Amino acid sequence: MANIIELRNVSKTYSTAAGDFPALRNVSLDVQAGEFLGVVGKSGAGKSTLLNMINGVDALSSGEVVVSSGGAEVFVHALSEDEKALWRGRTMGVVYQSFQLLPMLTLAENITLAMDLVGDFKPRESRARAMELLRLVEIEEHADKLPTFISGGQQQRVAIARALANDPDILVADEPTGSLDSVTADHIFDVFSRLASERGKTIVMVTHDMGLKNRFSRCLTLIDGELEDETKAGGA
Amino acid sequence: MTDEKQAMIEMRGVVKKFSNAAGEFTVLKGVDLTINRGEFVSIVGKSGSGKSTLLNMITGIDHPSGGQVIVGQKNIYDGVSESQRSKWRGENLGIVFQFFQLLPMLTLLENVMLPMDYVNKYDFDERPLRAMELLELVGLEEFANKLPVLVSTGQQQLAAIARAMACDPPLLIADEPTGNLDTRSSDTIIKLFQHFVALGKTIVMVTHDPSLTSRTDRNVIISDGEVIDETISRALPQLRHRHMLEFTKLAQRRVYQPRETILSRDQVVDHFFMIRSGEVEVVLQKPRKEEVVLSRLGADEFFGETELLRGGKSIANVRAAGSPVEALTIPRADFVRVMNESPITMEAVGKIVQQRLEARRVADPRRSWWKR
Repeated sequence: MANIIELRNVSKTYSTAAGDFPALRNVSLDVQAGEFLGVVGKSGAGKSTLLNMINGVDALSSGEVVVSSGGAEVFVHALSEDEKALWRGRTMGVVYQSFQLLPMLTLAENITLAMDLVGDFKPRESRARAMELLRLVEIEEHADKLPTFISGGQQQRVAIARALANDPDILVADEPTGSLDSVTADHIFDVFSRLASERGKTIVMVTHDMGLKNRFSRCLTLIDGELEDETKAGGA
Repeated sequence: MTDEKQAMIEMRGVVKKFSNAAGEFTVLKGVDLTINRGEFVSIVGKSGSGKSTLLNMITGIDHPSGGQVIVGQKNIYDGVSESQRSKWRGENLGIVFQFFQLLPMLTLLENVMLPMDYVNKYDFDERPLRAMELLELVGLEEFANKLPVLVSTGQQQLAAIARAMACDPPLLIADEPTGNLDTRSSDTIIKLFQHFVALGKTIVMVTHDPSLTSRTDRNVIISDGEVIDETISRALPQLRHRHMLEFTKLAQRRVYQPRETILSRDQVVDHFFMIRSGEVEVVLQKPRKEEVVLSRLGADEFFGETELLRGGKSIANVRAAGSPVEALTIPRADFVRVMNESPITMEAVGKIVQQRLEARRVADPRRSWWKR
């Protein structure tokens, strides 16, 4: 299968008052469509920086990031900020540790808002699509509630549904289970797992939870900004 | 209030009950609370005291089981549909939460513009300019085009505040806005709030941080679903919330006309007095009819403690000064019991007793009455 994400010799250095800090050193990585890739590492290892390179949230210092989705091969590092925002909105869903749902909007409205922002779905379609996504994450009965009235695990399900709003091929998740108890975290992990196996989404998840290592279709370890030699659990 | 203060929020007998498997649970037990326009009010209370529920009643996120909530002259529950309330909220309230709720796929500037789009306020072209002005105000102009994940948590909260002010609401509600931040970021946020208050905004902030409550105009304490009388919490700040609540329920209101005698010297004192408004004079009548005003006490100060704690009769005359005095009184037995249960308050009150005895000794050195 073709690579959907390719990183070539990507480095990222932050300048701080204390001097230059290399967050990523010469990272090369291929991700295939439909993979559920885990990247584990300690806090400060460069995990979030790696995700920010893949989705173009932050600019790289050197190297290349190529994402091939929807029939287009995009050189992410070469896009302008505006181009990146547009491209990201359609190509990638993001899920973070904190759910960041807008508290004044119902769950369904939180999802339709994400569609309205990109504009690929008509208003009439977007409500139906939001309900479908809420069903996918098994929370449609709460569609018209405000986020305050559901649990953290349920809010994270909504955040995942929102990440899927514009039907992206790729989902990136930064510690999505980090603020949940272990049983709830397990359920959320299963949601991601099914999105890869049943819906063909490509998922890149970073976590410091080494216990999850064997549950990805492939898992890499990041140490001090460098990827450890790949030990393929499954292979593609 | 007799002056020109205008109520921004009026809660009248607000009750909130929740039902769960374990039965019915009353979180708010008849809350009466008025917050005036232009006030910066902090609300504190232990976890589970009902403070977040109270905020949810003001924002219309949740519904009261009984009572009325009037915000800016509008009764926000009676005959108001969910969508009307949502529209009202967008136009009149800015809300800031502990966990910022910035949309991760939008830049800070776009996040700030979002409420303007939602409420459809300001011309389309004006929105980015206004959003930029707000980001400048909170010191984030150079990060305007960054996504939230690239700025610090303190900066994310500043952006959330800019967003809350996007539609220029008269009222800002903040639920633990500094709960997730270091002290320096907290300080920046409180200064920003003070700036908005100076512009005439009303701010209601739930917090558990005592260093922040001291920087607000008013501090409202919620204990076990009830609001503690503010005269009591200001007069005896060392008391436990439980005791403050007990005093709130026991307190009787008394009003005295100007110059009216409240306590006569040598009269047995059977109440503890806290002044809600007006001023009292503690007067010593000397033998040759000359009068010495030992002290003047104003709002949130108290008297009667010396006699109650030492036992005995009043050591001086106490009377209303030039204007009417409103006072709250606690019966002697209850005051003494609570003082015995609260050594810290006893110590603080004890220091005041010492000061007052000393003042009286200086004013009237001939009688060694304090040795009795």
